[in-house]
Amino acid sequence: MIRVSELTKRFDKLAVDRISFEVARGEVVGFLGPNGAGKTTTIRVLTGYHPATSGKAWIAGHDVEQASLQARQQIGYLPENVPIYPELRVVEFLRYRAALKGVPAKQRRLAVDRAMQKADIQDVARKLVGNVSRGYRQRVGLADALVANPPILILDEPTSGLDPNQRRRIKQVVRDLAAEHTILFSSHILGEVQDVSSRILVIHRGTLRADGPPDELVLRAVGRSVHVTARCTPGQLDEVVRGTPGLRSEAAEPAKQDGYATCQGTAEPGADPTQALGDRLLAAGIAVRELRVSVPTLEEYFTLMTEGSDRHEEAALAAVAAPEVHS
Amino acid sequence: MNGAWVTFRKEMLTYCVSPVSWMIAVVFYLLRGFELTFLTQWFGYQRGDPDVFVSATYNSSSTALMVMFVPGLLTMRCFAEERRTGSMEMLMTAPVRDGGVVIGKWLAATMFYALLWLPSALLLHVLEYGPFLDTDLAFGPVFAAYLGMFLLSSMLIAFGCFASSLTDNVLLAALLSIVFDFALMRVPGQLAAQFGDLGDSYYVRELLDKFDVMSNFRDWFARGLIDTSQVAFYLGGVMFFLFLTTVSVASRRVA
Repeated sequence: MIRVSELTKRFDKLAVDRISFEVARGEVVGFLGPNGAGKTTTIRVLTGYHPATSGKAWIAGHDVEQASLQARQQIGYLPENVPIYPELRVVEFLRYRAALKGVPAKQRRLAVDRAMQKADIQDVARKLVGNVSRGYRQRVGLADALVANPPILILDEPTSGLDPNQRRRIKQVVRDLAAEHTILFSSHILGEVQDVSSRILVIHRGTLRADGPPDELVLRAVGRSVHVTARCTPGQLDEVVRGTPGLRSEAAEPAKQDGYATCQGTAEPGADPTQALGDRLLAAGIAVRELRVSVPTLEEYFTLMTEGSDRHEEAALAAVAAPEVHS
Repeated sequence: MNGAWVTFRKEMLTYCVSPVSWMIAVVFYLLRGFELTFLTQWFGYQRGDPDVFVSATYNSSSTALMVMFVPGLLTMRCFAEERRTGSMEMLMTAPVRDGGVVIGKWLAATMFYALLWLPSALLLHVLEYGPFLDTDLAFGPVFAAYLGMFLLSSMLIAFGCFASSLTDNVLLAALLSIVFDFALMRVPGQLAAQFGDLGDSYYVRELLDKFDVMSNFRDWFARGLIDTSQVAFYLGGVMFFLFLTTVSVASRRVA
């Protein structure tokens, strides 16, 4: 439904650098990245607000530049800050938007009612848009995105600036919508993306860093951490743990309790050494008091993908900037 | 043209609920009311000629207010406000053509402007029943004067839309528009006078004559004369500025 190929957008500096991805029908894809990573720029190219500097993008088979109007007809778009006309009532605003999006006059009332119901804003229908709270305003924006019942929804930071309750409601709405729409939504709040999306795209400094289901991506990139406490000497434990394939461990130490040793390690990304470690401990006749394996969080992954690469890039820049030493 | 029609309806609604529109109407009618009182007293005394009356009315300060300030004030929000609040993004990502949006906004401002003018015709009607005029008020000059005013204003409003598309500062948009309107009313007349002194070039004079909207108004429309070349000039001006506005709005996508 959405296809992006080698998309580049340059303002004064490069905002998006040759990113490519696809979103299939019915998928809910989270677009993840720190502030200023290029999420909004990519979304604006997809919605026809900015032309791409190079590369192509298609919405439901329509080129977003060559067939912009047809592409825009397939999209319901919720911008990051929902700017709406404060002098109109919510229902007037939605009727106007429905008309603008070409909903036939006879179906308009029904379309507006349905969108308000989906976004759960019937109780503010007669209020002036300028007078509703931020949470409601965000949902009015969502109702606007839904009003023409487009097959594709593009939501840019739908929960930014909302309190936890409002966030939960929006998340619930997005989950409910997933049954009928293809959704691309951006966020820098990790929990949200993990809860709602079946797949994530990680963008950082304008480049696409990862693409896949969130759990899989996390496990592929960050190893599980392993913690063992057993009845033996640190030396015995060391021997067993270090010999486990796919596990890097620190030196074992005596535990607080006499006669016990404790050891921590990190598994190779993608590997699950729990079974192997258990077998080895059993074979060595060591009584295990605790064997804890923790699955890494998306947050750890995100830090690794973004902050880690920052450090890497800064180091690279520093290396370039450093004067060469001639021997 | 669905976009133009939908935009027109929404803009008309916005004008109707906007306090600025009503303030303009109040100031205009207060001023016009004072002028009419003054003129009827004067005419009542002079037993004046209705043609002179029409001409005098349209040379009045309330007319100058409507021509110089009101197009800018009505159109200042058209695009500048949309850009300032960010609603331009929602508008431009909706499946409508830029040209349709521009036409819709211009048409709404022009229609609202015409609605502001319309009740002033009733003031003229009042005169017919009073002991102010020797003869009946001639329909021709009144109609032509209103038509002329409508055409001139349509062009000024089209410029106002263009000015509003250039900036996200509403006041700057209004100022640009007011300066343009003022210049159009004063500069060509002055230049024509200068050229008269410097010797005559037929084409330059013809061109200046077309741009000298106030004297066109005074010498032609207010006397009941409709010159098709002037009508074409104003309509051409409308199209020119609407085209520029569309280009300006479309170019904002690139920024």
